[in-house]
Amino acid sequence: MNIIKYELLKLRSKSRGWLGPILVFILIMVAFPLTIEISNNDLGQSFFSVLWIAMLLVMMLATEDIFLEDYNDGSLEQFAISNINLSYVVAAKIFIYWLLIGLPISLLGSLFCLGMTNSIYLASHILPILLVTSYIFINVFSFGNALSLTKGSVLGTLVTLPLLLPLLIVLGKVVISINLNLNYLGFVGLLLGVLSIIIFLIPLIISYIIRAHLE
Amino acid sequence: MIKNFIHQFASPKTYIYQVDRLYPYILYISLTIYLISIFWGLFLTPEDFVQGNSYRIIYLHVPASFISQSLFMAMAIASAIYLIWKVKLSVYLVRSIAPIGAVTTFIALISGSIWGIPTWGTWWVWDARIVSTLILFIMYLGLISLHDSFSNHEKADKFLSILALVGSVNIPIIKMSVEWWSTLHQPASITISNKPAIDLVMLYPLFGSMIGFAGIVTCLVILSSKLQILKRERNKSWVKNYA
Repeated sequence: MNIIKYELLKLRSKSRGWLGPILVFILIMVAFPLTIEISNNDLGQSFFSVLWIAMLLVMMLATEDIFLEDYNDGSLEQFAISNINLSYVVAAKIFIYWLLIGLPISLLGSLFCLGMTNSIYLASHILPILLVTSYIFINVFSFGNALSLTKGSVLGTLVTLPLLLPLLIVLGKVVISINLNLNYLGFVGLLLGVLSIIIFLIPLIISYIIRAHLE
Repeated sequence: MIKNFIHQFASPKTYIYQVDRLYPYILYISLTIYLISIFWGLFLTPEDFVQGNSYRIIYLHVPASFISQSLFMAMAIASAIYLIWKVKLSVYLVRSIAPIGAVTTFIALISGSIWGIPTWGTWWVWDARIVSTLILFIMYLGLISLHDSFSNHEKADKFLSILALVGSVNIPIIKMSVEWWSTLHQPASITISNKPAIDLVMLYPLFGSMIGFAGIVTCLVILSSKLQILKRERNKSWVKNYA
């Protein structure tokens, strides 16, 4: 609990870390209708692809220095030699990032969905999917950024983005199913399954990677 | 005795001397098999009823895509061996398989795209199979660039094997993509459980070409892993004797 509080305070005091990605997300979502004719009624059609890509990019930016500062100031080393399990710390960090960045962005995404498609049905059904997806994205990008800890986030993104592309195909299917009023619970189950594996496995892997970095 | 043999073979020195002995046999046998099956496939099998002569690229396309996925699985297994038992040789193998895997994936992509023109009328389609093969290609390149960006070899080896292991979750997705998503790409012609969807006249040379291609790729992996071992172990005394 103390770790979660500590991470929360740390991220909250660094407004560039959490407010920045949210603002970038808003900017992308505002900028994209400008590239299409204003009177275009089919804004909803391309909306979702822009939404997923914007999510992807913003999560990538948000987790860019998730471990870097702690690595540089030595607190990761402190955690590694203390009796707290390092994977708890990592999981807490990821959770706080999701709480301060993933959650607002999901809400905003749902709001933008309402604005672009004028359908409360769509907006309310996309929200849980956004919440789950953002958690998965943050987890996987943290993994990439842990791998490329001192080498910049381009490398981390290069190695983890391919892992997420099959997920994007599933997301596309979900949107089609919701649009056509089909049963999409199967896809939600799939996403939750992925999440339940990732939520335990990724912190373990990341703590292993961090220990390798500290050696 | 088996345990002893594995331990011996896991040392880079024994590995190099052993594969040096085996290399010419594998090379000549697999080259012969591949050339015979190519000749058989190109000149002796009849034309396809629907696709005409264009289907004959199958003798390059199918082996290449099959091998490109198998190599990634091989990398994942070797990575697991490295992470669990700390066998140095297996991580050298992972690193040396990566560029060869990238090349075979590239061959699969290019030959598929050339095959696409007469059958589908397009070079490229954004469907699950093709895109996931492209992802596989990028994953190979990502592995190479991850390994090369660390000057500390031990670290680089660890990260490489973790990423190869994690990345292997994509392989079943690529494998099943033709069945899970509706695509232009035809489902696999050969499966273990069902009767093959391809006539036996065409099937035999296809099997031959797959085996031959696998053998040729094995030879490339041997060459590349020898290079990798000699580079990494260059300070050891046996390397100086060997060279």
